[in-house]
Amino acid sequence: MSELDGLRVLVVEDEGPVALLIEDMLLELGCELAASAADVDEACRLAASENIDFALLDLNIGGCSSLPAAQILHRRGIPFVFSTGYGVSRVPAEFQSYPSLAKPYVLSDLEAKILLALDRSPRC
Amino acid sequence: MSTVEEFPLAARRPTEYDLLLAGGPTVLEAFPAAAYLCDAAGVLVSYNSEAARLWGRAPDLQSQERFCGSHRLFLPDQTPLPHEHCPMAAAVIQGTETRNAEVVIERPDGSRCTVMVNIRPLKNHRGEIQGAVNCFQDITARKAMEQELRDRNRDLEDFFENSAVGLHVVSGEGIILRANKAELEMLGYTAEEYVGRHIAEFHADAPVIGEILQRLALGQQLVRQPARLRAKDGSIKHVLITSNGRFAEGRMMNTRCFTSDVTDLYQAEHALRDSEGRLAATYNAATIGISEADEHGNLLRVNDAFCKMLGRTREQLLSMNFADYTHESDRANDLSHYARQVRGEIPSYAIRKRAYRIDGTMLYLDVHSSSVRDANGRFQYGVRVLQDVTAAQNAENRLRESERQMRDLLEALPAAVYTTDAAGRITFYNKAAVEMAGRTPSAGEQWCVTWRLYTPDGVPLPHDQCPMAIALKEDRPVRGAEAIAERPDGTRVPFVPFPTPLHDADGKLIGAINMLVDISDRKHAENRQKVLIDELNHRVKNTLATVQSLAMQTARHAGSLPGFVDKFQARLMALARAHDLLTESRWEHAPLQALASQLLAPMADAAPGRVSIGGPPIALTPRAAVALTMAINELATNAAKYGSLSSDEGTLLLQWSLRDSPEGRAMLAIEWREHGGPAVLAPTRRGFGRRLMQRCIETDLRGSLDLNFDAEGLRCQMMIPIASCAANV
Repeated sequence: MSELDGLRVLVVEDEGPVALLIEDMLLELGCELAASAADVDEACRLAASENIDFALLDLNIGGCSSLPAAQILHRRGIPFVFSTGYGVSRVPAEFQSYPSLAKPYVLSDLEAKILLALDRSPRC
Repeated sequence: MSTVEEFPLAARRPTEYDLLLAGGPTVLEAFPAAAYLCDAAGVLVSYNSEAARLWGRAPDLQSQERFCGSHRLFLPDQTPLPHEHCPMAAAVIQGTETRNAEVVIERPDGSRCTVMVNIRPLKNHRGEIQGAVNCFQDITARKAMEQELRDRNRDLEDFFENSAVGLHVVSGEGIILRANKAELEMLGYTAEEYVGRHIAEFHADAPVIGEILQRLALGQQLVRQPARLRAKDGSIKHVLITSNGRFAEGRMMNTRCFTSDVTDLYQAEHALRDSEGRLAATYNAATIGISEADEHGNLLRVNDAFCKMLGRTREQLLSMNFADYTHESDRANDLSHYARQVRGEIPSYAIRKRAYRIDGTMLYLDVHSSSVRDANGRFQYGVRVLQDVTAAQNAENRLRESERQMRDLLEALPAAVYTTDAAGRITFYNKAAVEMAGRTPSAGEQWCVTWRLYTPDGVPLPHDQCPMAIALKEDRPVRGAEAIAERPDGTRVPFVPFPTPLHDADGKLIGAINMLVDISDRKHAENRQKVLIDELNHRVKNTLATVQSLAMQTARHAGSLPGFVDKFQARLMALARAHDLLTESRWEHAPLQALASQLLAPMADAAPGRVSIGGPPIALTPRAAVALTMAINELATNAAKYGSLSSDEGTLLLQWSLRDSPEGRAMLAIEWREHGGPAVLAPTRRGFGRRLMQRCIETDLRGSLDLNFDAEGLRCQMMIPIASCAANV
């Protein structure tokens, strides 16, 4: 039904309830949950090793920045979207080209940003 | 020749020639001079030995030499004179007599002599020339003397005429006979206007010249007699006359007067007398003190002002040494300088010293001491000029004191303060400035005490463009600026400067003062505030996302709206309690004990004595507190609704402990145990509550969750690594 069908996604989010919501949203969009991390070390490990098509990165996880994981994804050429409670201004200049989602967001926001990250416009 | 024919006549009465010839050389030898005889043809027939001596040769009479026996002849002006033109030739040929003629003879050896020649032609009775006799004398010595006399006379004339001193000769009657150039120039007359006039006409003072002439007539000599002469232009010349008379036969013939012009000297002396007079007047009328002292410092002379200054009489002071009234602390200094000055090691000196008046009061004196020395450089006396500077010194002392107080004040200020001169060179800085700059400024540094400066944006700011430099260059205070100082150790201090130009009484810029206020604290507070606002924003957004998730998930699993409301409220309230606890510790940590108590309080109140909570104190990180709150809330909601607390007898135990895992990691072990409730049925599907718990404990806190649906009651064990849940308190 969606062009995101079967997209293997890594979710990096440290707030359990929020992670559950994101996961539900992704499932609704037809994505496959490839992996989930709530801290930077785990996120880096998964970003480097998992077979994934896309990632959703909380900018601040457990009081740490998730940028190390972003750099790994960038090197691997895996598209990703930042999600943050801080606002877009917190994204460092080198990653400004990646889309950002300001928390809280709804399903359509998430879909639009994923498509933007994948450089695919939603078909009407 | 006809001599033979005439012989008889000659024999009768011999002529002069015959006699001289007959007498031979013997007759000629009798002459007291050189002499020789020539016959009518000019042939040399006889000569004496003196002639041979002067000629420097003895001519052979047989060789028939004519006119003269000399080697060569010259006129006195050194023109060659051939023998055939000499006076003897003229005598024998023309009968010309020569008297006192001068001729120069050159001998064969080249030497010369001047001779005076007298020649007489000799005639016979018939008047015919028979020959001539020449009588000549050596006058070489006389000629030399004449020449010397002429030279000397010329020298004298030259001396007279060209002497730098005025000279004139006056006759016994007082008439000017001669006057030299210097005298004429001095008075401005030509020789015609001066010579031939009576000397008295030129004297300004008749009695003086009258006396001069009288004294000279009496044979007295005048030595540097002062007189005044009237020059042609009407001016008066002061002269000194040195003169004596020349007497002949007791009568004064004339006088020779040397006249030296001393007008300039006279005027200088006059001026000197004038200035000495004025000096003396000044000396006593001066408002500054003047004293003169001998080589030991004993006072020789003092003026009125000095007496007044020290409150002592002239008599008192003249019996004192200047050391006597000098303050004991300044005495040695003054005396040692004075001794060096007397010895000539220093030409003069100036000091400020303290001195006592007669009434014992003290005054400050500025002393300028110098020496008067004679032509040989010997010390004559010291001149000391003294000024009472007590008022100025007191003012200076007060100023210095107030300056010192100002410096103390600046030094004590907790803010960095420094001052510069008008060129920006640092003249003062306090301790706080050194601390702030992290360095001690070195001498001559300009504009700022800091090591390096930056703008608030971090752009390097050259010192000559800093606010202090602007304040000085534009002569205006600079306010509202901000800058960052970097210390040599690399640390940076943000500060606000307050550079303010300083002016003297005339409004001239003399420097500036700057205060640097360290605004690190303010900057930190600003940064902290920014971080806090960011953090708050982040937390609010995350919380909203959490609430969004709770609402979505609760709604998805709720059977009815009331069911949704109950569950959603319970979850929301649990979240709110966790936030309350975290807020108490400023979101740094929350104690597990308090967290558990608050979450279970409603149940404990509803079932007194059946809920027990316990464990060692442990502070949780905010994240762990929220995660555990979510998990415990799910368990509590379930217990109240379906578990042990839904019955009247059931109990609940929540306890925790710290232990090591089999791998040796420190773990927080939490145990939830229900007992005595309705029989437990394992859930048929995995609801949101369980997913949430698993997510919170297993993913967020990297722990493990073990849910055990015992028939006796639900049991749940949570093992969480201390590393992922404990806060550093």
